[in-house]
Order: sequence, then C-alpha cells, then structure tokens
Amino acid sequence: MIGTFGNSSLIIALLLNFYLLFSYSLNFFKKKNNFQKVRYLNFLVTVFVFLAFILLLWSFAISDFSNTAVYQNSHSQKPLFYKISGSWGNHEGSMVLFILILAIFSSLFSFSGVRDNLKYLTIFFQNILILFFLIFLIFTSNPFDVIRPTPAEGLGLNPILQDPLLSIHPPFLYVGYVGFSIIFSFALAGLYLEEFTKLWSKQASLWIVIAWTFLTVGIGLGSIWAYYELGWGGFWFWDPVENASLVPWLASTALLHSNITSMKTEKFFSWTALLAILTFTTSLLGTFLVRSGILNSVHAFANDPDRGLYILAVIMIISFFAFLIFILKFPKSPMPNVLIFWSRGSFILINNCFMIFFLVVVMVGTLYPIFLDALFEKSISVGPNYYNALLAPFMIVLLWFMAHGPLLEWYKFNKQSLIKAILQISFLTLVSSIIIFFYLKDFSLLLFLGVFFSIYLIIAVIIDVFKQKIISKNLARNISHFGFGILVFSIFINAYLSKEINVPIKVGQTIKQNAIEIQFKNILKSQGKNFEEIIGNFLIKDGTRAFELSPSLRKYLQPVQVTSETSIKSTLFGDYYLAINLSEFEGDKIMIRFYHKPLMLWIWISISLIIFGGLIRIFRKQNES
Amino acid sequence: MSHKIRIIILSILLILIFLFFYKVLLSEKTYQPRSMIGKSVPEFSMENFKDINRRITNQDFSTKEIVVLNFWASWCVPCRIEHPMLNELKKKYKLFLVGINYKDNASNAKKFLNELGDPFDAIGSDSKGEVAIHFGAYGIPETYVIKKNKIVFRHIGPLNQDVVKAIVALK
Repeated sequence: MIGTFGNSSLIIALLLNFYLLFSYSLNFFKKKNNFQKVRYLNFLVTVFVFLAFILLLWSFAISDFSNTAVYQNSHSQKPLFYKISGSWGNHEGSMVLFILILAIFSSLFSFSGVRDNLKYLTIFFQNILILFFLIFLIFTSNPFDVIRPTPAEGLGLNPILQDPLLSIHPPFLYVGYVGFSIIFSFALAGLYLEEFTKLWSKQASLWIVIAWTFLTVGIGLGSIWAYYELGWGGFWFWDPVENASLVPWLASTALLHSNITSMKTEKFFSWTALLAILTFTTSLLGTFLVRSGILNSVHAFANDPDRGLYILAVIMIISFFAFLIFILKFPKSPMPNVLIFWSRGSFILINNCFMIFFLVVVMVGTLYPIFLDALFEKSISVGPNYYNALLAPFMIVLLWFMAHGPLLEWYKFNKQSLIKAILQISFLTLVSSIIIFFYLKDFSLLLFLGVFFSIYLIIAVIIDVFKQKIISKNLARNISHFGFGILVFSIFINAYLSKEINVPIKVGQTIKQNAIEIQFKNILKSQGKNFEEIIGNFLIKDGTRAFELSPSLRKYLQPVQVTSETSIKSTLFGDYYLAINLSEFEGDKIMIRFYHKPLMLWIWISISLIIFGGLIRIFRKQNES
Repeated sequence: MSHKIRIIILSILLILIFLFFYKVLLSEKTYQPRSMIGKSVPEFSMENFKDINRRITNQDFSTKEIVVLNFWASWCVPCRIEHPMLNELKKKYKLFLVGINYKDNASNAKKFLNELGDPFDAIGSDSKGEVAIHFGAYGIPETYVIKKNKIVFRHIGPLNQDVVKAIVALK
C-alpha cells in the first residue's frame, strides 16, 4: 500500500517535471515567459519527491518488509533511529534523498533575488538534472519494489553502520554534493544568457558557501566516525570514497576563492565558471564511483554495472552540454585578465592552482590503480606515502601564499608593507617554532617546515585581526584560515609523533614501552540491546598520568557480526587509543593495539573552526541580502 | 582556437573518459566472473557457522586436493533449487564442500539446512558480503571448484546436472 503511494508520487513528480521542462522550452523558443507556472510546477515536483521520501522513511520506521529495500536493509529489532537512518543507508533510499535535495535547492532558488530570466533558466537546468535522476531511480533503483510473499523479518543492517555519526554524515555530504548542482545550473544559465558578471558572482556566493559548508561538515563527520568507530587508529585513510568527497571539496574551495576574485575585480569569470562546472561534475563522478561498485572500500554499495553505466552515461551527457555551453559562451571579463603579481587576486589564483594540483593528485591516486587493473591487469596500491610525498611540500607553499594573500591589496602593491609583514611574521613564527621544537625534542626537515608554515599562517591571521579596526570585519575568512592553520599544524605533529604499540597481552600482565605502561586488569561480560559484549579493562600510565581504558568486542546478533569497539581518552595534547584486535588470540593472550595520537582533539576543533567560518559567511550574506 | 576544435577536443576527451570507465565497469576486475580462474584462493577469514569459537580461513583448505565452495543464503530461492545437487555432490561423489552463507540470518540459515539437509563440511558466514567481493561473486548462488588452492572452475547461478557432471569430471 505504502509502496503504491510512494511509486505514484515518484511517477507524478516525473510527469510534472517533464511538463515543466516541456512548457518552459516551448515558451523559451517563442520568447514568451511562463515563469509563474514554472515556479508552481517546480514546487509541486519538490512536494511529490518529498512525499515519496517521507513514505520511504515510514516504510522503514514501521518495518514494512514487503518493501525490498526495507527487507534488505532493516530489521524489526533495530532501534527506531537506525531504522530511519537505514532508509538513506542504502542505494535506493540515498538516491531518493539525492533527488529531494536537487528539488529543494531548485525550490529555494526560486526565492532568490536573481533576475527572472536567469532564475528560471537555472531552474530549468536544475530540472533537467532532476529528470535524469528520477528516471534512473524509477527504472533502475526503485525504492518501492515489492517482495512477495512478505518476509517475516528483515536482513538487518551492518552493525558497524549503527552509529549516530555515520547515520547523519551522508545527508550532510549530500547537501554539499548536490548543493553544487544549483551553482552548476546557475553557472550554465549565466553563461547561456551571457550574464556571467560581477552580479552573478555576488548572487552565487551565498549558494557556494552553503554547499561548501555542508560538504565540509559531511567530510568532518565521516572522518570522526572513521576515527571513533572503525578502529583503524586514524582519521583519514585515503580510502577511495573519502577521496571521492575530497575532490569536489578541493574544486569547491578553489571556486569559493576564485568567485571572490571575480566579484571584487571583475576578472577571471571564465575560470570561476569552469570551476562551478568542475565542482558539480566531480561530485557526480564521486557518486558514480561509489555506486557502480568500481571502488572497493568500507563504503561499497551493492555493485551493479547497469546502474553504473546509466550514471556514467548521464555524467557524460551533462558534462558534454555543460562544457559545450562553456565553450560557445565563453565569458569575457570587462577588465583584461591581468593582475599585479603582488596582489590579493593573484595570490588567490596561485592558491587556486595549488587546489587544482591537489585535486589532480587525489584523482590520479584514486583512479590510476583502477586504470592499471582494468587495462593491464596489474594491481598496485596507492597509499598514504604517495599522497604525503606529493601533497606535503606544496601544502607548505600554499600556507605561505594563504598567509600573505589577505594582507595584500586588490589593486595596488605596497612593497614596504609586504616586507614589513614578512619580517614581522617570520620573526614571531621562528620564536614560536623554536619553543615548540624545544618541547618536542624531535626534528625532521619536513616536520619543521610544516610546523613553521602553519604557525606562519596562524600568526598572519592574528596580525590581520589586530590590524582591523573592527574585529568582525573579515571574521569568516579569519576564523576559517586560522582553523586551517591549526589543522595543518595538528596533522603534521600527529603524523610525525604518533606512537603505536601492538602486543599480545593476558590478564594481569603489564607491558612497558618507553614512557608508556599498559596493565591488563580484567575481563567483563555484558549484554547490550542487540549485542553481547566482552570488555577488557586496562590501566594506562604515561609518565605521571594514569587512567583506565576499556575497549571491547561486541557480538551483534542480527546479523551475527563481531566488531571491535575502541576506547579513547582524549586530552588537550593528545589521544590515548586502545583497541582489541578481532579474532587474533594467542592462547590466553589477546592482541591489542595502542596508539598515542598527539593533538587529535585539535584536528576536530580546527575543522569546526573552518566550518564556523563558513557559517558566519552564510548568515552575514543572508543579512546583506 | 576555434570553437569547432575545442568542441572536437571536448568530445574526444569525454568519449575517452567514457570508454575508460565503461571498460572498467565491464571488466573482470569489477568483481566479476572469469578473472579468478587459474588464480589462488583469495585470503579470507570468516566466522564459523558450526563452531563459534573457531574461524574459517582460506588456510583451512589449502592442503585439500579438491574443494567445492558454494555461496548460498536461506533467502535465495534458486539456492533451494540447487540444494539437492549439493547433497548429491557430497553423498554420491564424496567431495569436500564449503558453504559460504552470504548476508544471511543465522537462525533462518539453520532452518534451511534442517529442512533441506546439510551437505557442507564447513560453513563460514559472510555477513557483510566481503568474502563474496574477494571471490568476485556475481550473485548467489555461485559455485567454485578449488584444486590445490587454485580456482579451476566457476558456475554462476543454481547448479544443474550438467554442471554437477562437469564438477565431478574435475576430480
């Protein structure tokens, strides 16, 4: 019953969407306008997709196992929260969410202050995207497929996926990924109508920051989940699916900055337009890589080459037309695309080039193994070493440009003030670095450079803040850049100074390595709602500090699966992290993994600062408009 | 550069990208058939269905002359159809059978075996479908024959008498 309603809403949404496209095109070529009608149709599409989404949530909430998606991904004993989050934890449901966000952005955009012609052409392009994905959903991945006879019980959800962070990070990522669709459509409309101007940049900037902030939150939450739940002892693994989200993030960060340059200097519109197209097409590429089963990772969805082929074809068609419009309507800047080298604009562009370089590195690292495997049947694995070697040195240069960019003017160059700033910042940075390395008692050149230049950025931001007469001026940028400085600093320290101990241990035994002492006190058994748990109690001593950690193994009953729950003690200077290895028992000993990870907390704090900067910009923009 | 040339370059580029991903999608490496033939058994470690205290790994069968490995699940209808053939492989031809219970509910799986018979010498439970990915399983049911730790035969879909004959001929 719910299935029938759900299916009907999707089909009605498709028909309405088709009608909208048809009616708009007809009027467009007759040079008439029917904007009011398009506006209503656009709302109705959103309403019907929303209805389908609610019906799907409902099917999951009441465990309607006659629905194939519910049957395969849910279970009656699962807590309600996970039943509901399970609805987007699978391919079909997540596609409904994907389309819903496309439609919501389209509807929200109809409220923007953009001139009607431009606005409704944007909505038209957005509805073409909705059309492609609705067809895909209804014909290849229908979330309301019925299974007969109705099974008595569902197949459950992977217990590793039963985690609050995991449940909420995909919607954030989606708002980010899909949010770029509206900028993409807006860019195409702007190009087509030759209205890619300063005003375009101004009106696009709010949407760019919204999508960018959500994407950053999504990536951040995913990373926190990987750290606390996966038990791999890190926060970023260069997992292909993580990379698939990092690529649009890099493109959109470049877009965010180049759009500011276009807005302030009326230059580089073509570059901004290209980035707008690139950001969304790389988002789509990420979706394709995850959905087609090409990538093998913790995120792997059911692999189905037919679905993959459809998404691939759609991406190619969308990209072709987008780039075609770009080529034919190449935007010309009213000003010549020349900048004084020592100006804020050119520094932003230099950092844009770095972003694109990082993007290429990540993309090659993700796709090259697939390429080799498919064409030459060779297996290679691209690991952190590749990324560190290629990214770290350039990151250092990026930090320098990032520190000085905001201190320079847009149009004129004051040599003396630059030299003064360099000397001032360098001096303060050198003093801080010496103090830090004195405390660290560990030295390597790359670590020193990483620490030096991240502090350089932090100090440059602080100086910039103090120079302002009003602190709140440029607050968003300063907070985000400050956060980024701390992030790079923490990552360098974390990467170089983390300690790891892997040992077998039995109850009563104490293990000592350097300053760290691990004592295995006892084992307890306990019973959770849908799992049994064996908890190990350990006493950890690090110098004068002593505390207990209690990692555990959980055996979930439905489906039967054992997971390792880490136990983490966070302090301001670092995390102590203890996990029991799954299924590695040597007689009466168990294998444990212990990590000391410096400045972990600061990685999360710095990501929050970057996001906070984005939020400030969103609310400021709203007030301005 | 004229528009025409740019459009031609764009088209060629996109076609190349399409062909590349198309090839990847349809290639054997996307966990699809044939590629595993002639290769060593992938490493795996699974929960043991019959004995919770031990795990099943690929090492357990590495010394066996010939092993028939079958992916199945209680919710899979074709698995019911092929089950008598598995019983036959065990009883009549005395082959060593390993079942991999794919994304299944343990109690349903037990009911299934009680009802239709248990031909398996060992059963591992692949609750997340990871082992199936390592084997490149296309779907279930699916059957592999492993000879001296090398995969020599694969059949996608339910077994039939011809396939049973082909498997027996490998002995």
